[in-house]
Order: sequence, then structure tokens, then C-alpha cells
Amino acid sequence: MSIKIQDLTVTFKNGVTAVNHADLLIPGGIYGLLGENGAGKTTLMRVLTTVLKPTGGNVTIDGMLYSEGNYEKIQKKIGYLPQEIDLYPQLTVRECLEYMGELSGVEKTECKKRIDKYLEKTSLAEHQKKKMRQLSGGMKRRVGLVQALLNEPDFLIVDEPTTGLDPEERIRIRNLLVDFAEDRTVLFSTHVVEDLAATCNQLAVMKKGEFLFAGNVRDLLNAAKGHVWSCHVEEDWMARKLEEKYHISAKQYTDRGMQLRLISERRPGIECEPCEATLEDAYIYMTNEF
Amino acid sequence: MKKELKICLPIYKILYSAAFVLILSFVRGITFVDEIGIALESPIALLTVIFCADTYLVELHNKRRDVFRLFPVKKQTTAILRRLLIQMIYLVFIAIAGYGMFYWQKPGEVMGGITSGTAFGQFLAAIPGTVLFWGIFSMTICNVVRNMWAGIGITMCIWLTLVSQAGSDFLGKWNVFSYMFRDTDQWKDLSWMYGKSLSVILAVLLILLIPVVLKKRG
Repeated sequence: MSIKIQDLTVTFKNGVTAVNHADLLIPGGIYGLLGENGAGKTTLMRVLTTVLKPTGGNVTIDGMLYSEGNYEKIQKKIGYLPQEIDLYPQLTVRECLEYMGELSGVEKTECKKRIDKYLEKTSLAEHQKKKMRQLSGGMKRRVGLVQALLNEPDFLIVDEPTTGLDPEERIRIRNLLVDFAEDRTVLFSTHVVEDLAATCNQLAVMKKGEFLFAGNVRDLLNAAKGHVWSCHVEEDWMARKLEEKYHISAKQYTDRGMQLRLISERRPGIECEPCEATLEDAYIYMTNEF
Repeated sequence: MKKELKICLPIYKILYSAAFVLILSFVRGITFVDEIGIALESPIALLTVIFCADTYLVELHNKRRDVFRLFPVKKQTTAILRRLLIQMIYLVFIAIAGYGMFYWQKPGEVMGGITSGTAFGQFLAAIPGTVLFWGIFSMTICNVVRNMWAGIGITMCIWLTLVSQAGSDFLGKWNVFSYMFRDTDQWKDLSWMYGKSLSVILAVLLILLIPVVLKKRG
């Protein structure tokens, strides 16, 4: 399944353009969508879920145009985890998922099987009798993800799925998404670069409603090649001074003081050595002007 | 149905609705049994307006709307109708309970007038129509304006117009509050049924509009 976005524009009534003449092809598998807060990721995803109508351009899913007449067919193919969702606080985890499964039209016995499967995969099985309002933020996030998976959609859209999860759960959810994307399309939106580095081979970087980059991770890393430098400073104030002058992608205390990763178009005028770019470095290089 | 019951009848709604009819039975004075229905109808309509306003909008307030919209419209409509049905059954029940509460005032029967049983029977015939119309009307207006308080405000303005003497003079037996405005001395005159029938017809039309409203404004 592939999704094609052509010249897409979303302008709100207050005049703000959240997506500006964007073009993108999302192929099968897991596809990352990276961008700072307010870059237009959520708006783009709301268009892809048919919730929001674009002001211009068009979107097709496997050749089917996003138009009012096709919305019902398209909606059947989609699973969505929004950035914020407060699932029925009065219901237990299982009741909530059964209710949402029933609403999405999944047959009752099949729905129960899927709930069991995904509760197990998200380590929620032992919490299934708890009321939704009793869950922690991370648990609610996982229930939200399970509801998006229940109708086993061809196109899964997840907005910040790992927010509030502990490191172990984060890995588990990332693996679940990778497995799920084997024969489907998953659009994984986040501003946490680490999540995408661990899951996606293909990604797009958004800033101010436009795509700064779309392609595979290797190309993004290549773009930052030769612009990442590593240096050591002895005191914190020296690090702060460098921060004013350069984009710093990482800081770490070592036995030699503080190690910094600098992103710079040219070799910085301090003692430093070039180093291999990580996705985080490449993202900072891509989203900042030099 | 059990899940919808939990969704649309949270404790706070049960508490405020029970308190509402209890307070009403204390503050609204009546003398005769045929006044109980009159005392109850318009306040119950108002309670229904507020009670049912968020039947769908609760999805918007809890940020579930983007997910709810992905469900087939038929399923969305069924879920909303179930919620309405549960709330309305509850409201009719609370209205009946409220009717009983007025008996602490020891209302009397007029010699040769309507008996307690008949007065209650007429109330039972009228109140489901009131709850049905105002519940669906309130929810529809709120859905159309996508704002619960604005929806309640608009609905209350219409409630105020219809409950006024001007509303009664203008619409007569076709007023949705015809039961309240009936001449209690002519208790055998059932022409107030016209207004109640109109309420039911309007409610059915609004029910048919639910899928359209969900598609356009959901």
C-alpha cells in the first residue's frame, strides 16, 4: 500500500498555513515523520485520516483519491493513534477495547482474539480489568495504540506513540510497530529521533509545513557527512560558550571533561575532529540554517 | 449496551439530575394533583437539554473524535442512539420519581375533577414526548455548532420562547409544551396530544438527520 501526497496545502481560518504545497510518497513498511513541535506533522496526519479537508492539492491511497465519496472506503483501511486521546475513563481496559472494536466493525470473537494478542504484546494483559482512569499515562498510550491496531488496518498512523513510555516499553512498542509494518504501511510521527533511528529506513523531515527531506536514512546521514565534529572541553562554561556559537547535538561527561558533538557547515575554529553523523546530527543539520 | 450505560450515565449526571428534581419538589409549591405535571414538564425539559447536550460532544471533549470519526457512520449513529435511549429512559424515570416527590406537599384532588391516578396517567403519556424532543433537539444543536455551551444556550432560548405565554398563544395546542398549558379544569380535553405528537414527529426527523450531521459536522 502506498500513499501519494501532491501539492498538499492546509490553511486554517486564522490564516496560518500548517502544510505548504507538500509532496510526498509513503511506500509500504514503516515510514518516519520527523519534525519539531508545530512543524505540521499532526495536521498532515489529520488530513491522511480524512478528519481534515485540505485547502489544496490531493492525496491518494493505492490510487484511490481522497474525496468525500471515497472517505468511507478509505476510513476502513486506516488505524489512528492521535497525539492526545482520553479513552472512556469509566470503562475497564478490556471493555474500552471491546467497545471500540465493536464500533470499528470487527466481528466479536475475532475482536476478543485480537484484544488478547495486542494486550499481551503491549504488556497490558495484567491491567485489563483496571478502569481507564486508573492507568498511568504510558499505559493509556499503549491502550490507544491497541485500539488503532484492532481493525488490523492497511495504513496505520501513529502520532508520538512512545510518549510517556519507559525505555523498555519504548523498545517493545517500536518492535510491535516494525512487526506490524511487515505487510502494511505505518506512518510513525515523532520528534524523538532515537525512535525513528531504531525503526525506520525511510523518513521525511518536516519544518514549517514543508518537507526538508524525504528519502532513506542513509541519504539523510550522507547529507550531514563532514558537518559533524567532536570536541572536548574541561569546564561547563566553555560548553555553554560553544553552544552560543554552534549547534550542539549531544553533550556527555567523560573522564576528559565534557564531550560535545558540534554541527557546523565548516570546521569549527577549535580543536576538534570530524565524526560519523548519527540520525540526530543529520536531523539538526537538516533543520537548521547555517 | 452496558458499556454505553457507563459512558453516558456517569455518577455526576445522576447526582445533579436527582438533586434537581428533589430541590424542585421543595421549592415549587402545588396545591392540587393536576399541578404536579405542570410544575414538572418545563424543568424536566431544561434538565434534558443539559443532560443530553454532550451525548456526542463528549467524544470531542475527550479528544476521541478523530478516532470515532473513522468508524462507519452507521455504527456511530447506532452508538449515539443507544446513548440517547439510555439517557431518556433514565430521565423519564427521574421525572416519575420527581412526580412522586411532590406528594410530600400533600396535594389534594378537586371534587369532581381529575383523580390522582388519571393525572399521573396523563403525565406518563406526556413526559416521554417532552424528554424525546428536547434530548434529541439539544444534542443536534450542540453537534451542529460543535460547542456544548453555545448549543445549550441556543436551545434554552428556544425553550424560553416556547415556555412563554407568547409561545403558548402563538402555537396553541401545537406547542411542544401543550401539556403544560392545557386547561386543567377541562381535564377530559386531550387536545394537548397534538403538541406531544408534533414533538415525537420532530424528534424522529432529527433522528434521521443524525448521520448527516455526523458526516458534515462530526
